Amino acid sequence: MDPVTLAVVRGALEQIGDEMDLHLIRAALSPIISETNDCAHGLYDPVTGETIAQGGFGLPQFLANMQFTVQRMIPVAAAAGGFKEGDIWIVNDPYLSGTHLNDVILLSPYFADGKLIALFANTGHWMDMGGSAPGGWVPTAQEIHQEGIIIPPLKLYEAGKRNEAVVAMITANVRMPQQLLGDLAAMINVFAVGRRGFDALVARYGIATLQSCITEMMHRSELQMRSYIEEIPDGTYRIEDYFDNDGVEDKPLTVALAIEVAGSNLHFDFTGTSPAALGPMNISDSTAKSLCFVALKHIFPDVPVNGGAFRPTRFTIPKGCILAAEYPSPVGGTTDVTQRVVDVVFGSLAQAIPALTPAAPFGTTGVATVSGRHPTSGKYFVAVYPYPGGYGGSSVSDGLVNGTPPGSMAKFMSVELSEHRYPVRFGYFGIRESSGGAGRHRGGCGTKYGIETLSDVLVSILGDRVDHAPFGVQGGGPGAPNSVIMSTGGREWIPPMRSKAEKVAFTRGDMFRLASPGGGGFGNPMERDIAAVEADLNGGLIDLATADKAYGVVATQVRMILDRPVYQADPEGTRIRRSAALRAESKAG
Amino acid sequence: MGGIVGIDVGGTFTDLFYSRDGTTVDAVLKVPSTPDDPSRGLIDALQAAGLEPSSLEVILHGTTIATNAVIERRGAHCALITTQGFRDVLELGRRDRQRMYGLTGVQQPLIGREMRWEIDERIDHHGEILRPLDVARLTRLAEALAREKIDAVVVSFLHAYANSTHEERARDILKAANPKWEIVISSEVVREYYEFERTSTAVVQGYLQPLVSRYARNLTEKLEGLGFKRQTLVMQSNGGLAPLSQLHRRAANIVRSGPAAGVMAAAKLAAEAGFTHVITGDMGGTSYDVAVVVNGVPRIAETTELDFRVPLRLPMIDVHTIGAGGGSIAFLDRGGILQVGPRSAGAVPGPICFGRGGTQPTVTDANAVLGRINADHPIGMKHLKRLDIESARKAMGELGKPLGLGVEATAEAILTIVNHVMARRTRLLTVEQGHDPRDFALVVFGGAGPLHGAAIMREVGIRTILLPPHPGVLCALGCAVADLRYDLSQTVERPVADLPTGFVREVLSRQRTDGEASLKSSGAEIASVEVKHAAEMSYLGQIHTLRVPLDPAWTAAQMIAAFEDIYRLEYGNVLSDIPVSVVGLKTSVYGIRTKPSSEPAAVADGGKAPKPASHRDVHFGRWISTPIYDRRDLLPGLRFEGPAIIEQSDTTSVIEPGMTARVDAHSNVLIEVA
Repeated sequence: MDPVTLAVVRGALEQIGDEMDLHLIRAALSPIISETNDCAHGLYDPVTGETIAQGGFGLPQFLANMQFTVQRMIPVAAAAGGFKEGDIWIVNDPYLSGTHLNDVILLSPYFADGKLIALFANTGHWMDMGGSAPGGWVPTAQEIHQEGIIIPPLKLYEAGKRNEAVVAMITANVRMPQQLLGDLAAMINVFAVGRRGFDALVARYGIATLQSCITEMMHRSELQMRSYIEEIPDGTYRIEDYFDNDGVEDKPLTVALAIEVAGSNLHFDFTGTSPAALGPMNISDSTAKSLCFVALKHIFPDVPVNGGAFRPTRFTIPKGCILAAEYPSPVGGTTDVTQRVVDVVFGSLAQAIPALTPAAPFGTTGVATVSGRHPTSGKYFVAVYPYPGGYGGSSVSDGLVNGTPPGSMAKFMSVELSEHRYPVRFGYFGIRESSGGAGRHRGGCGTKYGIETLSDVLVSILGDRVDHAPFGVQGGGPGAPNSVIMSTGGREWIPPMRSKAEKVAFTRGDMFRLASPGGGGFGNPMERDIAAVEADLNGGLIDLATADKAYGVVATQVRMILDRPVYQADPEGTRIRRSAALRAESKAG
Repeated sequence: MGGIVGIDVGGTFTDLFYSRDGTTVDAVLKVPSTPDDPSRGLIDALQAAGLEPSSLEVILHGTTIATNAVIERRGAHCALITTQGFRDVLELGRRDRQRMYGLTGVQQPLIGREMRWEIDERIDHHGEILRPLDVARLTRLAEALAREKIDAVVVSFLHAYANSTHEERARDILKAANPKWEIVISSEVVREYYEFERTSTAVVQGYLQPLVSRYARNLTEKLEGLGFKRQTLVMQSNGGLAPLSQLHRRAANIVRSGPAAGVMAAAKLAAEAGFTHVITGDMGGTSYDVAVVVNGVPRIAETTELDFRVPLRLPMIDVHTIGAGGGSIAFLDRGGILQVGPRSAGAVPGPICFGRGGTQPTVTDANAVLGRINADHPIGMKHLKRLDIESARKAMGELGKPLGLGVEATAEAILTIVNHVMARRTRLLTVEQGHDPRDFALVVFGGAGPLHGAAIMREVGIRTILLPPHPGVLCALGCAVADLRYDLSQTVERPVADLPTGFVREVLSRQRTDGEASLKSSGAEIASVEVKHAAEMSYLGQIHTLRVPLDPAWTAAQMIAAFEDIYRLEYGNVLSDIPVSVVGLKTSVYGIRTKPSSEPAAVADGGKAPKPASHRDVHFGRWISTPIYDRRDLLPGLRFEGPAIIEQSDTTSVIEPGMTARVDAHSNVLIEVA
């Protein structure tokens, strides 16, 4: 293999995915695609289904999920006579295609010289797929049918002609058919962009060279992934973490993970994880695996995204557990369940490679939705507010504030835009003080916001991490847990499921108040830089008691600016205070 | 003497371009920049060129002081005052992270939390006042802040774009507390929604305003001291000029002054040479900046990210930067695949062949090993007489060994890969915007651009490269060719069908009046005024908008038709069932300066080849004895074939085998695939 051609072809294939991503992000109607990049595009091997290349702008959570979907679609298509030129397949069946019903996947075969060379696939988040609550987040769902319509693998296009019956069947069952049609058209157009790119490569290199490049580049990615795994000390690293409840039954759910590292092989064993939840806190096994790769890529960002990088891994996920959902388990909690998968991968690898692994991030996507008819236009609307939160501290820095979940790149809608579009008013939107886990590198603080409703609407919340806070590592403390407070009819109340509430009727002047978790701390807080603690105090991120107790920093108020105190740390006093704490600790230990 | 001077004050060098009559090039030079007081470097350049300031008609200049101050966090001490409950908008951003993969790192807000304050007040999106401004507390806060070490105060209230009375009142109260403060209110900087982006833009303005004011003052004094009393104009990021006297109010507008100037110059030279569709490629030591010019007009970006969570929502020439430059390091990844960049050896330790301690092979080393740059006359190097080719060869040999490649093959592989990286970014820009790159000419400049332009042209499928006469000082020239420009905008966010009759015309006419007033107060000598109107439009519910040029007299139907034409061009279809919405209305007011257009020279004996200054062996697949031309010998009308190398004081250009070059009437070298 000519090394230059190999490098150039790899770049060109990645470029095809990138161009497809950008095209959809710009053309999609649904803000969740255009504003939050909730989509993915890639090229897949038509025989093995392995990822050849995937665009770099789509969401991480689809990193490997697309490959598993394609791998499950190949036999379905084969049974229907195989992929034909001009066909486009559609599917959103989560047990097959992962994540949730809102993520619709299209598959388009690519032919050159009459030969099937690759499969193009894309996924896009459609705002509403019907079901009992707008937007598909149904915290009390007990079967998938409450979450929307299932589209089994179907030919949406046959020989270039759209199957209008399929389209009509879908649009008749969703709340915003016009938007859906716009997104569908945009997703179809993207395949033309992909084909144009691949045609140019075929014309330049020929099919034989391209195919040997693809084979070789998967092999190289596998080598690259193995070289990283080899640097992780051999052993088995275990952790358990929990969900508050499934939204239906109030009992915690366990995610248990043992990562076995042997040479250049990784085995993710989820034995001990809770069996299927009654409520929507379930995900398909392909999504669970995909999120393990997302966590790995956060630790080793240089690993390329193709099928080769996935080869050195093996999974044991007990059939029917919350991480391997089966029909008819609801899966709408996917946005939260996926967070915990990332958390446990971090938590177990932090034992093996602490220098590379951060403490737990906020760990809940906690989607709050406000829906109803707009008082002025009379049109149906769904406003979606996904939780932001703090990242965990790491060996190199404090945790970020207002981060997006590790499996996502989705942004939070601008407050002003929100108020233009929906009958809501923000009371506040700010850093949640004192919520970052204490540590040598502090966890990032959570975010707090209060949203007032201006007309009769329904509010649903599907989150987690109220009962089990994001953990710290290497001696760092936990972040503050999640908090959800409803304020309706002049009364403040906490939902019975604490982090989950469905279709609560709100009227003008009611408000919900969310405070998202902070990230876990990294390392012993008693080793935190004194100037950093002083800055945290003056910025109001921690209070004087925390500076003293958690950080052992002696600080005094030196003056006020209006009503805000200004503190100064005393380095000598702190040294004495910290060594006393150290002595007490070693005595106790 | 008379004449105009263009000066680009960069981080390392200050470049000067002088023309006696606005058409001829009478001086071109580089002097070291003086970061402690950049105005000194500018004066040094004037003196080095032997120019008498008192006799100059106009001085035009670009500067990186604003960019550097933001990136290196060397701006003013500021306080930020926000609506109660929104103290942290600046720090929170919009829920994101710095990189898609990797969760480490935090942002550094330009104003820390300890200096961000809240005041009770609230306005809704219609501009209605829900809660009055708490004047009493604001007054107390202003008095308290007056005792702090603060140079500037920024005020950003929610929905201030829809009603600015609270911000204006706050400004008055603050001004009364300390008349020395620079005070910035968000509605004056951006009249658009998106609180984070607007607040950030206002904060960038406040953060830079004291620094830029000081700079403008220093420069004015120094120039006056030298007897220069006429106009000094500064390049803004939108490609238009603003007078030095207005600079402090426009500090955030000069953040990408230099790159904008480069694109303006490239567009202008290309237009004179007959090309209206142009891709500009500026390659230096660490990065490659690429921009697209359509119908002679550089594409404008509405929002630009200056740093993580530091967006600037002001119209700026859309310049995309990737980490590919002469200093980009080549390495094998863990899978054994050759990669180049984005890591750069920078100026120190630099490429191996520069002999400053660099040990990792770079793009420049590859060019040196292949004989493309002249080892005996290193450009801009005072510390060494000859490039260290032997060490560069040794490193190439080691890098190529695992790949089974020899020294020259490894160097060529490095160039192929870096050229592909640049070609891919270039393609992405044009194809994604619905253009065919074959309709474009490529103007390459910067120290390394002309070495790589030929390969980029080949890869992207571009037909012609234009090598300007002085590629190394193009930004300085850009300042000299630009016009004055003021941009105004306002958020509307309503369906076209819902707009009252006459609304659009009224908003645009107000913007025009405001822009013309700024132009008038600039005191600049202008020949004429041009006004362009546009609407940011989308289908209802879309986040991304398209910019639609607008005639204020249009009906709603005409506006929709114009939007759909552009939508079809961009995305290949229209969504006819969905209502069309106007997100914002914009006006640009231009003050067109008198610029004598460059007279084409008489073209001597068409088709004759110039005489090479020398020959040396250059590697193009194999060693070929290649003619080396001195740029000064390349007179209009001459033609020659590749392979060839052109040498001049500021750069080296490569013409590949199978390409032809000709010198046009403006002394540009045009390269085409034969």
